[in-house]
Amino acid sequence: MNPLTGKVYVNRFIAVLLLTMLLLSCARPPSPTPPPGASTDDAFAKLSLVVPDRYDPPIEMSSVMAVDATIKFLGENDIHNNVWTRAYEQLLGIKVSYKWVVDGSMYAQKLGLSVNSGDIPDMFRVSPAQLHLFQEAGLLADLTDVYEAVASPKTRDVLMQDPTSLKAGTIAGRLWGIPLTDAAVASASLLWIRQDWMDKLGIAAPTSMADVLEISRRFITEDPDGNNAPDTIGLCVTKSVWSAFANLSGFFNGYHAYPGIWYERNGALVYGSVQPEMRDALLALQEMYAQGQLDREFGVKDSNQVAETIAQGKCGMEFGVWWNPYHPLNQSQANYPHAFWSAFPIPSVDDVPAKSQYSSAVGAFLVVRNGYEHPEALLRMVNFWSDNILGSQDDELRQTFLGDIENPDVVLYKYTPVVLWEPNAMIDGSKKLREALAKKDPSGLDLDTQWRYRIIQAYFEQGTLEAWVEVATNGPNGAVTILEQVLKDRGQLNRFYGVPTVTMAEKMPTLQPMEEEVITKIIMGEPIAMFDQFVENWYRLGGTEIVNEVNLWAEQNP
Amino acid sequence: MSEKSKQPLARKSHLPLILLGATMTGYGMLTALVGSWLSNQAMRGLITASAYRNRLMAFEQTTGLIAGLLFFVFFVWCAVQASGGVRVAFAIGAAASAAPVLLGRAERLLFTVIGLPTMGAGSVLAGAVTTLVFALPMMLLFILLACGRRVPRGGRWLSFASIFIVLGTAFFPIYVTVLAFLLKPGDPAVGRMIQLSSQIIKLRFLLPGLSLLGLAFISMRFARLSLEPAETVLEKGEVK
Repeated sequence: MNPLTGKVYVNRFIAVLLLTMLLLSCARPPSPTPPPGASTDDAFAKLSLVVPDRYDPPIEMSSVMAVDATIKFLGENDIHNNVWTRAYEQLLGIKVSYKWVVDGSMYAQKLGLSVNSGDIPDMFRVSPAQLHLFQEAGLLADLTDVYEAVASPKTRDVLMQDPTSLKAGTIAGRLWGIPLTDAAVASASLLWIRQDWMDKLGIAAPTSMADVLEISRRFITEDPDGNNAPDTIGLCVTKSVWSAFANLSGFFNGYHAYPGIWYERNGALVYGSVQPEMRDALLALQEMYAQGQLDREFGVKDSNQVAETIAQGKCGMEFGVWWNPYHPLNQSQANYPHAFWSAFPIPSVDDVPAKSQYSSAVGAFLVVRNGYEHPEALLRMVNFWSDNILGSQDDELRQTFLGDIENPDVVLYKYTPVVLWEPNAMIDGSKKLREALAKKDPSGLDLDTQWRYRIIQAYFEQGTLEAWVEVATNGPNGAVTILEQVLKDRGQLNRFYGVPTVTMAEKMPTLQPMEEEVITKIIMGEPIAMFDQFVENWYRLGGTEIVNEVNLWAEQNP
Repeated sequence: MSEKSKQPLARKSHLPLILLGATMTGYGMLTALVGSWLSNQAMRGLITASAYRNRLMAFEQTTGLIAGLLFFVFFVWCAVQASGGVRVAFAIGAAASAAPVLLGRAERLLFTVIGLPTMGAGSVLAGAVTTLVFALPMMLLFILLACGRRVPRGGRWLSFASIFIVLGTAFFPIYVTVLAFLLKPGDPAVGRMIQLSSQIIKLRFLLPGLSLLGLAFISMRFARLSLEPAETVLEKGEVK
């Protein structure tokens, strides 16, 4: 054998390696994918879409649009010419034109001015109050018959998933607005606790409100963050005590009090904030504050400031909603890699299981101008969304109509007012996800859920602690499993989902701040008699009329 | 042309190299099996995420300490048994013994004790540091062995391949994590890479351990052959 054989082998190997690299570098680059929303006429031809008969000739539909500051367009797209306007025109035969486009914060005011001046669009979005106002003024088309005739099975399914949504769009037995649905149960209260602190101190999961109080006490006395300084807070609360995180709703729910919502008691609807159960919860909070378990300055701290406290790793518990790990609880883990928040159902003060309060998620409706020749066109647009977008696993279709990974800040569905979400999608998706995790088989999952699966997998199989957010929310024993219990028998739904009654609209803007002020003052040490005085004042300053009006509404909307 | 005679990796006994390879392989298998068992339990919802993490950390800290000590002893023993460049290689490899000890301790050490900023990716950084502590010395070890003219040819080729094994098993999971959480969150292609990387990460101790066992086997075979009389093993690998 030649003495250089070894070197020759190495040289050949290197040569093959270099040649491969050269070939790879010279290879023709992949043909560029057209950007989402590309204005080619055949952009939709390759998609498998469910579309109804196209209007021929195309019809005109005027509308108005609210956008937010984060809306972005690619290329020559704009709000008047984008993937959605082109889809409506090319696929449905509906030429949508926007009379005006404003920032979301200005929409209600602009719409009011527009309607008052007689310039009413053919199809537009309204708030619950505007729905009633415009219906009473005879400005809206009755959608009952077109809904029955045109709504697709998927659209009906989506609108039926939340039993209050269609009712909310119904006035005197007729449907006037298509509700823009979302998951109502997403607003249900949960208890979030720093699990790593509990583990460190050997604390078991809370089963009662007494446990919650004890955990809070230990969190401020036993230095769970290990810095030898008494700088931790047992329970974080913002000055807006009913906000989406660090609120007090869940705490009150533990005492069977349901502030801010209407529920049935002795056959009538009552307002939760003025019920006697509030007293015990307030006294407990007062004691916690006196012992330093609440931030001494919570009465002036807004959600951003409390989020900062959480980020600093000073907060041990908070009552909030299921998505809190996405914000702001993720911030504590960003600074302290081992921080892990676990969700717990609201514990009860006694043997009766506590219920989490939540409200309907329908905050807006799509309506059609009275006299518009094609009211069914709205239902066709809704069907297009429901049949093609909701639950779609077609990657290409989703990229075309929702956006793609290359341009994450270009959210295409912001270009259309016809956007509904499935109320049960979160619960159903999470169930399927957990089943897939148990079987270690993500093949049957849609794209979003498959991604969640991978992230949870990264946590459990690669030790990527940053994936805890998905584990804590959608993972096994995560927050969404608690929402399933809430939907089953551990929830207290706000029974009043109508538009504000006359007195409510007039008096609530005064009564609500008074309610928050009294609660804050009592927690900070004012005598509990202040609550009794507040209840008396509440009824005297319009509460009695509001209760009567709400119960009248309940009779009319069984 | 000058000829350098090949030599086995150990002068007297290959026992330390066998023990090192076996310990590394065993440790790799054990961590993979226990990790899989615990993650199965957690993904089925039989234990909470917190219980999963606490048990895994307790396991990693205990076995990591034992494995780290054994690695160190065997690396040093290997170095003592070797000579020349091979001795240097094993001496450098001894630094990899710190990696198992860091498993389950790296976050606390880096961010609590040393006080480094987490930059929102504490576990990824800690994982990267642990990986570097293991991969860098191991790569140097295999590079030195691959370049060692006195190392038997089979050993050189195996060492050469092992460089890529160490590289792949160590850095692919980090690369995927960075893609998944920072650069391309939500990308289905990255999702499939996570699946692959969660399997590859289980091989990060096992495959280098097997490589060491393979080296021991090649070296022992070479030693047995070279003990035969009148045989001289030349650089070209010919037996005269």
